Amino acid sequence: MQSFELTAPTSVDDAVAGAGTYLAGGTTLVDLMKLDVLTPRHVQDINALPLRGIDTADGLRLGALERMSDVARHPGVYPVISGALLQSASQQLRNMASIGGNLMQRSRCSYFRDVTTACNRRDPGSGCPARSGANRMHAVLGTSEACVATHPSDVAVALVALDGQITLASAAGTRMVALRDFYRLPGDTPHVENDLRPGELITEIVVPRLDWAVNSTYVKVRDRQSYEFALCSAAVALDVRDAHVVDARVAVGGVATVPWRLTAVETALRGAPVTEDAFQDAAALAADGAEPLSANGFKVALLRRTVVRALCELTQDEPTGSRG
Amino acid sequence: MTTTTRIDAPLKVTGRARYGSDHNLPGMLHGYVVTSTIANGEIVAMDVAAAQAAPGVVAVWSPFDPLTLRTPSTPILGDTWVPLQDRSVTHHGQPVAFVVAETYEQARDASALVEVTYDERPARTSLADNLDLAEEAPPGLDGEPSTQVVLADGVESIDDALAGSPVVVEGRYSTPTQNHAAMEPHSAVAHWDADGLTVYSGNQGAFVQQADLAAALDVDPSAVHTVNPFVGGAFGGKGRTSVPAFLAAAASRALGRPVKAALSREQVFTATANRPETLQEITLGADRDGTLIGVRHDSWCSADTDRSFVEPTSAASRVAYRTPNLAVSQKVVPLHIPRTTFMRAPGEAPGSFALESAMDELAVALDMDPIELRLRNGSLGPAGSDLQWSSKYLDDCYRIGAERFGWSRRTPTGTRDGDWLVGMGTATAVFPALRFPTTTEITLRADDTALVSVGGSDPGTGLLTVMALLGAEALDVGTERITPRLGLSAYPPGGMSGGSTATASVGSAIVAAASAVLEELQSLASAPGAPFAGQDVTYADGRVLGGGRSMTFGELLSALGRDAISAVGSSGPGEELTKHSFSSFGAQFCEVRVHRWTGEARVSRMLGVFDAGRIVNDQAARSQLRGGMIWGVSAALHEGLEIEGDGRLANGDLAGYLLPVNADIPEVDVHFVQHPDTLHNPVGARGIGEIGVVGMAAAVANAVYNATGVRVRHTPITIEDLLDGLPE
Repeated sequence: MQSFELTAPTSVDDAVAGAGTYLAGGTTLVDLMKLDVLTPRHVQDINALPLRGIDTADGLRLGALERMSDVARHPGVYPVISGALLQSASQQLRNMASIGGNLMQRSRCSYFRDVTTACNRRDPGSGCPARSGANRMHAVLGTSEACVATHPSDVAVALVALDGQITLASAAGTRMVALRDFYRLPGDTPHVENDLRPGELITEIVVPRLDWAVNSTYVKVRDRQSYEFALCSAAVALDVRDAHVVDARVAVGGVATVPWRLTAVETALRGAPVTEDAFQDAAALAADGAEPLSANGFKVALLRRTVVRALCELTQDEPTGSRG
Repeated sequence: MTTTTRIDAPLKVTGRARYGSDHNLPGMLHGYVVTSTIANGEIVAMDVAAAQAAPGVVAVWSPFDPLTLRTPSTPILGDTWVPLQDRSVTHHGQPVAFVVAETYEQARDASALVEVTYDERPARTSLADNLDLAEEAPPGLDGEPSTQVVLADGVESIDDALAGSPVVVEGRYSTPTQNHAAMEPHSAVAHWDADGLTVYSGNQGAFVQQADLAAALDVDPSAVHTVNPFVGGAFGGKGRTSVPAFLAAAASRALGRPVKAALSREQVFTATANRPETLQEITLGADRDGTLIGVRHDSWCSADTDRSFVEPTSAASRVAYRTPNLAVSQKVVPLHIPRTTFMRAPGEAPGSFALESAMDELAVALDMDPIELRLRNGSLGPAGSDLQWSSKYLDDCYRIGAERFGWSRRTPTGTRDGDWLVGMGTATAVFPALRFPTTTEITLRADDTALVSVGGSDPGTGLLTVMALLGAEALDVGTERITPRLGLSAYPPGGMSGGSTATASVGSAIVAAASAVLEELQSLASAPGAPFAGQDVTYADGRVLGGGRSMTFGELLSALGRDAISAVGSSGPGEELTKHSFSSFGAQFCEVRVHRWTGEARVSRMLGVFDAGRIVNDQAARSQLRGGMIWGVSAALHEGLEIEGDGRLANGDLAGYLLPVNADIPEVDVHFVQHPDTLHNPVGARGIGEIGVVGMAAAVANAVYNATGVRVRHTPITIEDLLDGLPE
């Protein structure tokens, strides 16, 4: 870790007027500073900013500094969001990590985190060892020659499923961006991870009202039961009437370079009967365009299966038919 | 059987236990280790000028300007590598420089400024791709040759025996490199004064570390004092003296100031030593009734280029089952990988994964219950030896275990619970009963308390509490009057934590020391001028008795004007080795659930029933066995170091090297069949530190097969191994 200057602004105006990397829960930033992956000269501790509050009166409005654990246990939060949060990290980390910071998590690719190796995301143009190296955890969707790292956030997947938006503040004022548009595919510039402009700060997360999203779930498949990133995850919300799907939201994590919305699956589900067969037919579209690497080919099948599982679990009290 | 809470538990849970690196001394400097970024080659140049000029830096050592260290050697461990002595690099993450500064942060930051220039050569890191480099392994620690063939009369070869078997199964099994991942990273604080060197560092035996450091620094062992009262986990990974201990001791001597050094978690994976990767081929031949006719077990293990350790997996097939024909071989493949060493149940843990999986495959081929197959082939002693087991109750373990676990509810194709496929698996656990020569000192004090001291260590095993219990038993007083003391080289040698030997070794020495000190006490009591002068005295219940009177030993010492008396007692393996073979046994059971859509395998129930002789402290013993069984689950489903083609560890930290968390582990049921084995040692206890892990990985794999019909012959078993075999 390199030495740095620490300041602690007390207003958003002061924060965005200042220079330096924002520090909230510190669960990503400090970690990467210890590894010398991030070497900011100036760090702004924003924990004193008035960016709190959980408002469920009309959809969901979350202050960016709300802790993951507080959001997760709030009774008015859609199940897919609380489920994604509760399956993230560990209780200790959830108690520290902010919801805004969660959306700014950096890659968990082991090459990104190891400064002795090449990595286009950390050191543009240096190369991508993961393409031919240890890539079991890496993405099959949204990849490029330059980068195949997955996006690590769980709750971002749930928020993308529900058309979540974020409010960004800067010295120039505030703007709102759909989270789905905020994250950028790696392309030739994997080091540009999002649409954040210099000095901008996430102040609020907004989820539009979607009453049927009370029927939603987050299924996370991983190598151990807790405290581990997803091999594949699925955020699903279903509007079911008369044993048929009226509307659906489906997004997946752990398989793509950004939180990945599956609109084709959603379209296939609309009007479909609530049966395992229909769910399998819709989920068959989930991995369209997938480009597996040497060690992560299983994610193609796992992706389809995870979507089916989430749909089945969400409709367990509905009649289902099995073909296998 | 006694149940006693660990004596050291309050200190540990309140943070008052002082581990090696908790010691801070006036004027202490901090050292940071620099490690290599290549796996094979020569260091051509090292630019340390920037590091030397960095704030607070006191010294930078490298192979170009080394701290002189000699290579220590011991009969059990062989040579122990010491850092910075030459310019060759044989693995990624090898210590190549040592930066010492006024603060830890200064040392760490300066270490990043050391520029190393390498002449890099291609690395060999894959075991499977380098089998052509395999070498015959040297004989094992027990002296047994690594290749052994035992054939029944009239049988020409193992191939003939197998060819003539009505039922044959064969399989190729593999297990990955593993790291001990003890909570306490390897670390040391060293300082020199008029009495010589003192080193505070977690280790598996203070006297081992004393001998290593004395040899490395070329000083008399009496001038080296090692302090090791608390150890944050070892598991074989702290048997050898660590790089930080060597470097801190040598740097402190050079600088005349105390030096602290600790490895980072990432460095623990490369700068200590790991369990080797293994590849094993097993063929079992049996009659249709399940009686084994032939067993072949050929093993290969990875090693560093010094071949510092062999993982003797084929040895598992010498002890577990009775077979008229047996052929085992063990080869070692030198690679450009971090050093290899003992790790909990070395040989037995990965060896039992292969053998016990193969036995399950044989049971399937025979359409026979896996327990029945195992009971039918129970061994009477090691293959090729005339010496039978001193005491073996494995059949009882299986009978009791099957009852407790509900084995009768198992079906050959598992059961279903909603979306979960449920299976049960079992496996045999075998681990040799060993002990090492040990000397213990007992001091009786005038305040009616006693000290029991030995230089070994308690890295979480519970030895300290066992010493209090066995000391109290031998002196016939309450446990609260015994102060057990461990972890100083000033104490008598013995009680090293290794080979599951400590209770048997130290316990036997306590019996001898107690006998000696009580003899001395009674002779003092009846000496001329003493309270029982001229009388015949006896000793019981902490008192000397004679002439119708009695005095506590403290009263007697006070009357004699003595503060204390001490005696040492020694014990070690002897004549019993010519009469019997000795081993502990166990039956492992587990239930595994596999999700039918997404393939996660989760253990939902576990039971181990163990025949390990006398259990001295029930509570700590259960914890030991549970811990071992959890290691088995970890090996089966989570753990494995991935070494890349260039030698880099792909997952050399605790984010990537997965260990189970609480959510992965169900209630773990442990049961003992207690038959004290006094043929082995006077206490009757055999070891329990390692047997818990033996067989458990196979029990999990066998349960996965039972649940899904998918046979996985490697560990860890992960989702992609099962996905294709699941129903849609």
